[in-house]
Amino acid sequence: MQPRLAGKVALVTGSGQGIGEAIALELARQGCKVVTNSRRPGSRGGDADTTARRIVDLHGEAIAHYGDVSDFQVAGGMVQAAVDTFGRLDILVNNAGIVRDRLILNMTEEDWDVVIKVHLYGHFNLIRHACNVFRRQRYGRIINTSSIAGLGMTIGQANYAAAKEGIIGLTRMVARDMGRLGVTCNAIRPNASTRLTLTDELRAAWTKSGMEAAIKQLEGLKPEDIAPLVVWLASDEAANVNGRTFHVQTGRISLYSEPVEEKTGTKEGPWTTDDVFTLLPGITADLVNITDRKQKKGTL
Amino acid sequence: MTDRLKGRVAIVTGAGRGIGRGEALALASEGAKVVVNDLGGATDGSGGSRSPADDVVAEIKKMGSEAVSNYDSVSTWKGGENVVKTAVDAFGRLDILVNNAGIIRDRMVYNMTEEEWDTVIKVHLYGHFYLIRHACGVFRRQRYGRIINTSSVAGLGRSIGQANYAAAKEGIVGLTRMVARDMGRLGVTCNAIRPNAGTRLSLSDEVKEAWTRAGMGQAISHMEQLRPEDVGPLVVWLASDEAANVNGRVFQIQTGKISLYSEPVEEETITTSGPWLVDDIFARLPPLTRHLANPPEPGRKAATV
Repeated sequence: MQPRLAGKVALVTGSGQGIGEAIALELARQGCKVVTNSRRPGSRGGDADTTARRIVDLHGEAIAHYGDVSDFQVAGGMVQAAVDTFGRLDILVNNAGIVRDRLILNMTEEDWDVVIKVHLYGHFNLIRHACNVFRRQRYGRIINTSSIAGLGMTIGQANYAAAKEGIIGLTRMVARDMGRLGVTCNAIRPNASTRLTLTDELRAAWTKSGMEAAIKQLEGLKPEDIAPLVVWLASDEAANVNGRTFHVQTGRISLYSEPVEEKTGTKEGPWTTDDVFTLLPGITADLVNITDRKQKKGTL
Repeated sequence: MTDRLKGRVAIVTGAGRGIGRGEALALASEGAKVVVNDLGGATDGSGGSRSPADDVVAEIKKMGSEAVSNYDSVSTWKGGENVVKTAVDAFGRLDILVNNAGIIRDRMVYNMTEEEWDTVIKVHLYGHFYLIRHACGVFRRQRYGRIINTSSVAGLGRSIGQANYAAAKEGIVGLTRMVARDMGRLGVTCNAIRPNAGTRLSLSDEVKEAWTRAGMGQAISHMEQLRPEDVGPLVVWLASDEAANVNGRVFQIQTGKISLYSEPVEEETITTSGPWLVDDIFARLPPLTRHLANPPEPGRKAATV
């Protein structure tokens, strides 16, 4: 097997464990030099150093860089570390994230702020600094991490859903801003069992409500199965793929459709309220209140 | 004046001018009592003046309906709390929340400053959250509420130089879906619109100048025909009992056209029974993505940057 990304330099945020670690390892197997990152050393389950050491054990090159992606300057330091150590940066994988689930009714200002900061600001901060390098090189690959939570598939995650769908808007616009400069920017909505998705609380809640089958199913979704798609998106073969979103999990990969105007009403002249009350029932008659849709998971 | 919303109490943020003003007037003309919130700032969020909100309140009163002004910034927890408190103090309840306040700070992503990013996210995304969070406390007690959020086609990548705005506006779509899920059982709906109208935000002096220079005079006159007043009637419908089955969805709205957006679905799928291997992916992804083009189709809307 020849490496698909020989000589490329990649930065993977939140790569101490879980999906990020698996992505960093696979990029290294494919020939990338990797900057690993986690917020701080010593986390249970692995940090930037443990992942970097595993890459070196694979005869790859890696350095660990600690820091919080939600800090603009710190994010700049991560990009700089890649350039200083390896001379360039080709691939940015934004993966770092946290959750603070709570129903909107009870969500605190802090619950909201920290989740938006780590995910949405974190993505922007890295992209903003990486794009300076990408622009000079006329080359770059950005892979962002969204979630099906942004599609309203969970409950009690207003902060997370806002951040994750904000990342989709950011992805599309960065694709537009940078596409002419040889840069692509895409997003994934991964589904895998990690310490974020299959927490002790969730396990307890699901066990209590007799949902052992759901636990087993989620355990079958491996973080390692996210990485191969990321390798492909980071390769030259995906040069025509820009601004799009993929679902990925063990056994299944999908390309998401972009929202389109699926039912339209038109009229010459200004809208009156009477017009709208006549038109809209026809457009919306078959809609089902989202609340009545099947719920995917939720501890709350 | 008709009375489709008689007895209802509404908040419209950023209602001093443009689309927000049109929404406030449309709600009032259906009998709703309205809190007209406006900081009175410039399009980039700077400055502040009480007159835009007061002017709209005067217009509503002249129609024979009730309204009060509020000048708080939506971009703080406290400000959001105060706007909701203004409604409850003045009218005893709150039924309809229209999140409309917004600003722009356009710049290509590689030049965007931390401050340009932060200010836009704070006003739009945090602004929506703060109002929703405080309104939902009231809605829950009442077992009733209507939330109409404001997104944009920018969130679909239809412009350039708006990474901050697109992130905020698509974040609002994610927020809309999740609030719909959290609050639906409590008689609350939460939907979003992507309006298109000629306002001081969308058709600024800079845009006019840039478009004129680029020989796009036609685009300017097209945009000028998209009137901010044409957004209000859809908001009235979404705020009515007739739209009770509509929750967590997004609409396009402009003069002459209203559309329901599809939700993203997995449109093409590949499967495997074992783990994903890199070789699998390299063999199977090209057919899935062959039809895609980079850079994405240019939209009609050029930016100023």
